[in-house]
Amino acid sequence: MNKPLIKLEQINTWFPDNKPVFGKPTSWIKAVNDVSLNIIEGECLGLVGESGCGKSTMGRTILRLAPLYSGKIKFMGDDISKSDDKGLKPYRAKMQMVFQDPKASLNPKMTIFKILSEATALNLRVAKENYLEQAVKLLDLVDLRPEHIYRYPHEFSGGQQQRICVARALATDPKFIVFDEATSALDVSVQAQVINLMKDLQNKLDLTYLFISHDLSIMEHVCSRVAVMYAGQIIEVQDSGSLFDTPRHPYTKALKNAVPIADPESGKELGILKGEVPKLSDPPSGCHFHPRCDYKENICVEKSPKVRKTGKNSQVKCHFHEELWKRGVLRYT
Amino acid sequence: MRKIIVNNSLSNKKAKQKSASLPVLQIKELNVSFNTSRGQAKILEGVSFDLYPKEILALVGETGSGKSVTAKSILDLIPGHSRETRGQVLFDTKDLLSMSDKELQTVRGYRISMVFQNPQSSINPVFTLGEQIFRLIRLYLSRDIEALKQKTGCGQKQALKTIAKEKLREAGLTDIKRMLKSYAGEISGGMAQRYRIALALLSSPEILIADEATSALDVTVQAHILKLMKNLCENKRTAILFITHDLGIAAQICDRIAVMYAGRIVEIAETKKIFSNPKHPYTKGLLKAVPKLGADEPLSFVPGIIPDLVNPPRGCRFQPRCDHALDICLNQKPESLLIEDRHKVSCFLYRQ
Repeated sequence: MNKPLIKLEQINTWFPDNKPVFGKPTSWIKAVNDVSLNIIEGECLGLVGESGCGKSTMGRTILRLAPLYSGKIKFMGDDISKSDDKGLKPYRAKMQMVFQDPKASLNPKMTIFKILSEATALNLRVAKENYLEQAVKLLDLVDLRPEHIYRYPHEFSGGQQQRICVARALATDPKFIVFDEATSALDVSVQAQVINLMKDLQNKLDLTYLFISHDLSIMEHVCSRVAVMYAGQIIEVQDSGSLFDTPRHPYTKALKNAVPIADPESGKELGILKGEVPKLSDPPSGCHFHPRCDYKENICVEKSPKVRKTGKNSQVKCHFHEELWKRGVLRYT
Repeated sequence: MRKIIVNNSLSNKKAKQKSASLPVLQIKELNVSFNTSRGQAKILEGVSFDLYPKEILALVGETGSGKSVTAKSILDLIPGHSRETRGQVLFDTKDLLSMSDKELQTVRGYRISMVFQNPQSSINPVFTLGEQIFRLIRLYLSRDIEALKQKTGCGQKQALKTIAKEKLREAGLTDIKRMLKSYAGEISGGMAQRYRIALALLSSPEILIADEATSALDVTVQAHILKLMKNLCENKRTAILFITHDLGIAAQICDRIAVMYAGRIVEIAETKKIFSNPKHPYTKGLLKAVPKLGADEPLSFVPGIIPDLVNPPRGCRFQPRCDHALDICLNQKPESLLIEDRHKVSCFLYRQ
């Protein structure tokens, strides 16, 4: 515990915005912009933000699926930011991903056995003649029955398909799994099943998760720590228990206020955040959030705030976080 | 172009003057089934509810419970072949289901309009946003154009632009001049949905059907849209049928909630009652599965999955997943029981 499994040091993922015939692109879409973050062994780190803020790209960058522009990624102490495909191979099995749409991420022409054993092939500890045994074991882990093994993906419901995706991710005996909006396409009742399963597996197999979602209300159930992303940058990290009660960044508060509460007696009105999500190719100057912020001052327009530590595992990126904290304006009442 | 407007706006006004206690839309025993290769799928079975003026009624349920089919059946938007519809949809004393297509055109979009889930795909990509709203203004608001022309002495085009600007501003849009010249692909999802809502409310319809209108949007944008819809409908006295799978939204903006399961309405009551005193076992299970901010216990869920609608369970459709199933649930379909004022449940647990 408490050791960082993954260390991100000032990582940037930029995509070219225009492609000139000769020379380098002149403008970039900065999907991940100067992010430094530790993912601690055994934790479930949540990553929230509006669509188009770079959440998914960040998840893919950590797995080296998206091109890294600059910065360092350390996985279990090893620097993998410069490795090529061959050098990455031993690490790939240790890092897995589960995607949003389970139907699209399972090959419709393969049986469940084939899907699982294709992934098991990367797990060198399992001999070829034991693949069947291993597949049954994996299905058992995700609460599916062994007789499902020769069926095709379309014969399952959405929740079951997502569990097959989780089983496939587990087939390589990973240490780290990225869930990219893995429950967003599911109904609440099915979503609850998948989330409970994820938590069980984490305890059973000592896994570390990065849980990407735009849904704040499941964050608190799933994650131990949550990072909030805005326009390519991490603006706040805090324990999930305290993040939404005592946010330190104005954006975190605005995000929480916009969530509809499933309780008609609460009497809370939906909070409205003015303005639109900035374009990643041309973000606002200084603090990216300043055009939408209620507490902005001149310095916010001119200078980008530094990331400041507020606790052992928490950080915030705001010029006035201390002042706002003292004034208590962000506290959720 | 359709010329439907003048004679209809009279009856439109009359309908609005009716007393508020009469339902504006009555759905009675709606049954819809589709013919599939495996047999007839009974998608809707005996769906009945009333929609009152100025109210927001939420229709909630899992995927495949028939929410969207109910909404689309009201305006007969489901392609006809391989479909069978029985029942009545009464609007302004007329049955929409027995109307001819021509008659239905006087209602569709004009007196009952609809907003869909994906805003960008429900806007025509090859016309500018301006052309599309001008067309609807010419169609629905020809009187306003004439009045404006006489008042200010401007031409047709200027009048159209003035009205469009006013209507889009009402929907919370800014930079309208540029927007009228752009295409659907050039604006963000939130703007597109606001534009769609502006179009839907152009004719001040009596009913707005919102089919998962905010599900594709971010929470921050969703909050905007929800507030906008609520305010506009209050001003224009429009009733909303709000289809959603998010109970949070239902709690936040709706007056009443109808819970659907496998093609039946299992419970319908005022929002507060559904949350404080749910009766049907499915409603109870659904409410427990909602993740809440600030709660830390494991999520509970309803075991099992939605039944196959080609061979639905013989009695109550929820019985295979129900903890409280009785013998009678196996063979008989539960009737809708009025257990309290404006609170109906279809469950044998509550029969006298």
